[in-house]
Amino acid sequence: MATAPRHLRMQFAMPSDPRYLPVVRGAMCALAAAIGWDEADCRAITLALDEALANVIRHAYHNCPGGLIELECRETAEGIEISLLDNGDAPDRSKICAREVGCDQPGGLGTHIIKDVMDTVSYEISPQGNRFVATKILRKTP
Amino acid sequence: MKITVRDVGDAKVVEVDGDVDLGTSPALRSTLFDALPRAARLALNLGAIRYIDSSGIATLIEVLRDSQRLNKEFVLFGLSPAVMEVFRLTHVIRIFRVFQNEQDALGTA
Repeated sequence: MATAPRHLRMQFAMPSDPRYLPVVRGAMCALAAAIGWDEADCRAITLALDEALANVIRHAYHNCPGGLIELECRETAEGIEISLLDNGDAPDRSKICAREVGCDQPGGLGTHIIKDVMDTVSYEISPQGNRFVATKILRKTP
Repeated sequence: MKITVRDVGDAKVVEVDGDVDLGTSPALRSTLFDALPRAARLALNLGAIRYIDSSGIATLIEVLRDSQRLNKEFVLFGLSPAVMEVFRLTHVIRIFRVFQNEQDALGTA
């Protein structure tokens, strides 16, 4: 029997409540490992997703736990695509990666982590809500 | 996340076990800000932390800044490779005093 092409995918609809972050982290780390990343990369991808979710909770929903975040992580031909959709306040583009790298200010660290870990990152405002999309290529060692 | 605080001479050692994220970092922040004025040196053991995000790192930066304002010492020890990687990604490791173990952190080695 021929092997079916693999397209791993997971979807979550989670409240904007940080109590659910560990659930998503556990699933994300397992999915990244199944796709083929090593332990350090799995941790980094999980951190990037966690930071993106935390930004939605803090800045789109202002820490109110009643908002909805729709998450999809899917395996692509090159690696992984992570997308988030929320209906909170739109992101302030002037604050994305605005923090000076290496300074001792406590805020603004999350968007730098996302940018460093992922290969592409985009923030869009669509009729469905605020959409965050990030991708990472799986680089296979020979 | 579980947090314990103990006295060692005129220092306080804070032990954290578990995940430090957006949901749990306020409790760590509260504990550290409560302990800081009561000790000459505050040492945070990160050895049992399984996960830390930028809200946890931001908490540590806030405590460091307050320690400088109060003329206290705030030091870290026991960083695992996973925690060190988050410090590397946030580019802030150089602003902290980091030690291998508790004896070095407290200067009792």
